Amino acid sequence: MTNESNADPRTLAGTGATPLAGVGPALWYDADGEIELDDPPAPESVDADRERERFAEARETAREEIERERERAAERVGEEEAAVFDAHRQFLDDPQIQDGVADALDEGLPAAHAVQRAFAEPIETFEGMEGRMAERADDLRDVRDRLLRLLAGGDRVDLASLPEGTVLLAERLTPSDTAQLDPERVAGFATALGGRTSHAAIFARSLGIPAVVGVGDDLFGIDEGDDVLVDGDAGEVIVDPDEELRERASAGRDVEVREERVATRDGREIEVAANVGTLAELEGAVEGGADGIGLFRTEFLFLDRESPPDEDEQYETYVEALEAFPDGRVVVRTLDVGGDKPIPYLDLPEEENPFLGERGIRRSLGDDADLFETQLRALLRAAATAEGTLSVMFPLVATVEELEGALDRVEAVAAALDAAGVDHEVPELGVMIETPSAAFVAPELAERVDFLSIGTNDLAQYVMAAARENDRVAHLHDPLYPSVLRAIRRTVEAGRAGDAWVGMCGEMAGDPELTELLVGVGLDELSMSAVTVPNVKANVTAIDADDASALAERAVDAHTKAKVLEIIGNEQ
Amino acid sequence: MIERTITVVPEAGLHARPASKFVETANEHDSEITIAPENGDSVNAASMLAVTGLGVKSGERVVVAADGPDEEAAVDALEAVLSTPEGDESEE
Repeated sequence: MTNESNADPRTLAGTGATPLAGVGPALWYDADGEIELDDPPAPESVDADRERERFAEARETAREEIERERERAAERVGEEEAAVFDAHRQFLDDPQIQDGVADALDEGLPAAHAVQRAFAEPIETFEGMEGRMAERADDLRDVRDRLLRLLAGGDRVDLASLPEGTVLLAERLTPSDTAQLDPERVAGFATALGGRTSHAAIFARSLGIPAVVGVGDDLFGIDEGDDVLVDGDAGEVIVDPDEELRERASAGRDVEVREERVATRDGREIEVAANVGTLAELEGAVEGGADGIGLFRTEFLFLDRESPPDEDEQYETYVEALEAFPDGRVVVRTLDVGGDKPIPYLDLPEEENPFLGERGIRRSLGDDADLFETQLRALLRAAATAEGTLSVMFPLVATVEELEGALDRVEAVAAALDAAGVDHEVPELGVMIETPSAAFVAPELAERVDFLSIGTNDLAQYVMAAARENDRVAHLHDPLYPSVLRAIRRTVEAGRAGDAWVGMCGEMAGDPELTELLVGVGLDELSMSAVTVPNVKANVTAIDADDASALAERAVDAHTKAKVLEIIGNEQ
Repeated sequence: MIERTITVVPEAGLHARPASKFVETANEHDSEITIAPENGDSVNAASMLAVTGLGVKSGERVVVAADGPDEEAAVDALEAVLSTPEGDESEE
């Protein structure tokens, strides 16, 4: 069964992909890896024309499947992740693959064998490459197996209709596999391979499925039908869990959704909000019991189109968001584009270093001034319409001058609406703290606005001088370094002194392991993916604010990340 | 035929999404288009396999060549793809 050397033979360690747990009977998916083909028959006995036809049909069906899955992934997970299916379609249509298949068919191989041969060399080539290029081997296997399944009819499990309550086990799950999983049916999944940023993990988070990835070969020790608990919070897979563990898991799986606002044991109220990047995510935020939206990204309104959305279209969208939270607050971030977020009609400059270039408020006060004005008009009108509280924040502010520039624009827009007799209201205004510069002048910023919201991913990037996407410096890109924690504390103190509330949006806020630390630092609001809202709310209610402050003080004053980890690990 | 040397901007190099966009764009044009690493052999720009197989990293220079009725437009469009940093969807 499981690895004898493990301290507890029933517990396997992996990487938690979602802070959720589920339990159920194990079902192995594609346990034997590749689809096995028998030796090909003699070329004379193969009807080459028929095989060509079969291949053409399989290719057509594969293309339709890929397009369907792409649509579904775009809806459920987002455009960015769905793009992997574009690559799959291109591999399917690749001239080199097509030639390889055609040659093999000409030699008298059956279609399935021809597919296997045509993909073999490219897969091997990519397997030998480094880093993210090696992931292309997975994509090629995904496309190949899809074709083989269609041609050879392998008896693969139908992932879209698994028996209810199943825990799916697999060596790996491809994007196509994961996109088919129905969160209502599957109790969770665990994979031997894959990391926190693998497609499977990203899909699991978006779909709210308990998942542990990267368990390693020990996973293969689990037999089909064994009862398995997947604890995505602890990153553990437990075989044959006892009653106590099961209860804990079902409690974890059904973390109670609290629609009411929550407070620490000693009564400090913490606003727990959701980050929303598309209108489709609004529903998830409401269902997760978010108090409001802490980060409403407006980029989706501007992407994938030929011209910017007009004032009315934007107005409708903001009103829709506000109506989803009639008793809450919706923090809208003004357009945050720059060299790194391509929008064709904006004619963004080519930049040597886009992360240090013209982005966020820099563009809104410069080349995109007209867009900014239109957006502000829509926002000010929306603020006067709906019941909820609208807050507007400006991204990438680095100087007091920039903030003053933005505030001037708001004032000018309000005056113009006034003059035209258009119903409007000036919303709460705030600044995103994501540059070290903003953290340094946080007191001066706080004096001029209603709130500050800390964007931890960018803040960590800039404080640590470590690009977010660069694997080579990924170890430095961590908000648990004391320097980032101190920038956070500084911001909170500035907010307090300036009578501005301080929130945090970004991955750090949604890590349930860090709730105590963040409450302890003194944040008023935490905003995260909707899926982690119930966990963070539950954590808040279990915290004693004084204890949390003491913990945070020690953590922020620590000299090393290791020490920080020790402090928060020990005291949680 | 026209040829242009372009520096690859997307952080991950010619990786899934940028490569996909590149191949898509190449396929939208009628010209014969190739891409080669500087001082390397050229491959068919309309082949996802060939393009990703180059393993081109961010900051590296590539030579894009197009021959055909819309060669100028093709190279312009491909340059735009290679000069656009990868989309960034994650939280701040």
